[in-house]
Amino acid sequence: MIELTNVYKTYANSVKAVDNLNLIIPDGEIFGFLGPNGAGKTTTIKLITGILNADSGSIKVNGLDIEKDSLKVKKQIGFVPDTPNMFLRLKGMEYLNFMADMYDVSTEERRERIDDLARRFGMTDVLQDRIQSYSHGMRQKIVIMGALVHNPPVWILDEPMTGLDPRSSFQLKEMMREHADNNKTVFFSTHVLDVAEKVCDRVAIINKGKLLFCGSMEEMKDHFKKNASLEKMFLELTESEE
Amino acid sequence: MKNKTLLLTKTLIRNGEGLNLKGSNTFAKISVLVAFAVVIPMIMFGIGSFVVFLMGVLRPIGQEGLIISMGLSLNSAIIFIFGLIYIISTYYFSSDVEYLLPLPLKPGQIVGAKFLVVTLYEYMTTAVFFLLFWVTYGVMTGSGVLYYLYGLIIFLLLPITPLALASVLIMVIMRFTNLSRYKDTVKVIGGLLGVFLGIGVNLIVQRFSTNMSQEEILALLRKGENSLLELSNSIFPTIKWGAKAMVSSGDWSGFLSFLIYIGFSLLVFLAVLLMGEWIYLRSVMGMSETGSRRHKTGSNYLEKEAVRGSVVGTYLKTELKLLIRTPIYFINCVIINFLWPIFLFLPMIMQNPAEKTDMMKGITGFMADPEASGFILIGAFIFAVFMGCMNATTSTSISREGGELFIKKYIPVSYQKQLTAKVLSGFVLGLAAIIIAVFLAVLVFKLPVWTGLLILLTAWLPIMSTCISGLLIDLYNPKLDWDSEQKAVKQNVNVLYNMIAGVVPAGLTLALIPVSSNFVLTAVLLTAAHGLLCALLMKCLLSLGVRQFRKLEN
Repeated sequence: MIELTNVYKTYANSVKAVDNLNLIIPDGEIFGFLGPNGAGKTTTIKLITGILNADSGSIKVNGLDIEKDSLKVKKQIGFVPDTPNMFLRLKGMEYLNFMADMYDVSTEERRERIDDLARRFGMTDVLQDRIQSYSHGMRQKIVIMGALVHNPPVWILDEPMTGLDPRSSFQLKEMMREHADNNKTVFFSTHVLDVAEKVCDRVAIINKGKLLFCGSMEEMKDHFKKNASLEKMFLELTESEE
Repeated sequence: MKNKTLLLTKTLIRNGEGLNLKGSNTFAKISVLVAFAVVIPMIMFGIGSFVVFLMGVLRPIGQEGLIISMGLSLNSAIIFIFGLIYIISTYYFSSDVEYLLPLPLKPGQIVGAKFLVVTLYEYMTTAVFFLLFWVTYGVMTGSGVLYYLYGLIIFLLLPITPLALASVLIMVIMRFTNLSRYKDTVKVIGGLLGVFLGIGVNLIVQRFSTNMSQEEILALLRKGENSLLELSNSIFPTIKWGAKAMVSSGDWSGFLSFLIYIGFSLLVFLAVLLMGEWIYLRSVMGMSETGSRRHKTGSNYLEKEAVRGSVVGTYLKTELKLLIRTPIYFINCVIINFLWPIFLFLPMIMQNPAEKTDMMKGITGFMADPEASGFILIGAFIFAVFMGCMNATTSTSISREGGELFIKKYIPVSYQKQLTAKVLSGFVLGLAAIIIAVFLAVLVFKLPVWTGLLILLTAWLPIMSTCISGLLIDLYNPKLDWDSEQKAVKQNVNVLYNMIAGVVPAGLTLALIPVSSNFVLTAVLLTAAHGLLCALLMKCLLSLGVRQFRKLEN
């Protein structure tokens, strides 16, 4: 479960990236975080994962405060950043071992998880190669594997579908569903509305740091005219603020 | 329509990887200027006195013209060797290649622009060297204005022939081999070649100007045929005309040679453009793909590889792997630790036999003298401070993270542990330098083994303190916004700041010279002083440093 209460974040150039954000994402839910470019999606994710510090407000993950128990909170989370170009000079296996050690995963557990994840993503045969030699999609997959190696209760993904082929994209959506069905939380940002519509239990829309809407897809549809396409709704939501 | 080759050249230079001090503060600028103000005059003095010395030898026999010939030959050889490195990285390994290929440019225009950019680099590399030969000869022979004018134009055109040869060589190699698969290895070899060339030139100049008699030099010049001079004269034919133009600048034959030199150089440049048009595109295709042999993963691969390790241990191992596998980090942070001890011993080993025996006797006698043990220990500590400061590992440790710094923020590892692992990465490498130096000292200079062991037991302290100070400096002034790894390390002023910070441990060490005759007292005081400094710095790192790490956002 993720709880954000009155969270503010301002960057040095006094731009309000997150403006009084309040959100509750319960266990067992896939939560989509929508918004145009520069809306504050990535900043919010960085605040929840401890990459950035909030100016004020509280962020709790499974009841633990990120300020007070940052290490415990970080252990609860598996994070997939928006760019998969990291640790390019490590081999796939070395990267997974690095992540597993950072998250204190036992030898047995990591073997089982890596084996399972590698099979699902078709990565078994490339684990000995350097990430540098991977395609964009393969890099994305190894990062996802690294995020899941400790079987986190909360899985956070920033624009995860970018660069994935249809099969892997389908696989990822399945895994997100599985994760939520196991009473864990999935929080992901996207601007691909179609993905949100198909996968999410609930969505929130953010623009210029402010939360514009939070609720189920049905509620969202009710909120606007019933037959309007989601895309139109999304545009209406974001444009009305301008 | 503007000339696209020149337009592209300008863009490449603006986008280039020069010493960019625009964003740095005044202190950074001043420190870099001071460093240059010290280093360049030192090199100039060395080469200048070498030329003056040669003039003294050659003038009485009327062969002073050889100096110009020699200057141009050596310059061309240096341009050629550096050219190989510059060309392979500019033509092929530069990230702009994949952006340039889809643009409506002819291959000849890309090669032309890149050739000019490399020429510019070469001016910067060889200007001081050429200037000394040119001006010293001019002043000592009282040459006229024409000599200086010819000299300037000859200098500007000098890189063309060696660079053309290097370009063709590299383009052909890249066309027919798959060297791009070993991009990192090629970069490392290139970097090492540069380092060794630097040492080589330094040693030759040193040896010539200090150890050789007039007769020996004349004999060496008379032998001729196989010398570097003859070799580079025959490889770069323009040198002959250039040298003739400068030496006979006063008469018509000089002017004629000058024209031939210019004409030939321009022809060579055109030939490179044609060659580029013909071969460059074919050799550069597919460069952006990093080759990798796919390994078949065996059934027991997971059992063997997926094994739990400690957090700090794995973090440290990963830091070291990245340092070793990234060519620019490998050269500046890893290999430097192994080269410096050898650098320092080499001039002593390279002395001519007669002087060497005397000197060796002196040194081995000194090493074995129990009275000198305290002094030797102080020397070892100074060497350790020096090695710790020269090592860029921790003073660029945060900077090297660049855009990936956020990863270190979301992993559930305390900043204390992360900073400790980062200090250890520099420490492990610095320790290697001490071990090599002690090993060489025991082997070559007969340093008593027990003194060597004592050095190993204590002299790690200055390595540790300089590693911590480096990391602290980088935490407060990290250079996170870079687009090439080169900028994170080579153009990082924090390395210089850490050298300046090295004044503290060096001062602490030198302050003990007065008590150095008492070995036990020296050892105890050195260990206590450096131990205290280490403890203080570590406390700072784990409190202030951690706070600063938490604050860093990119």
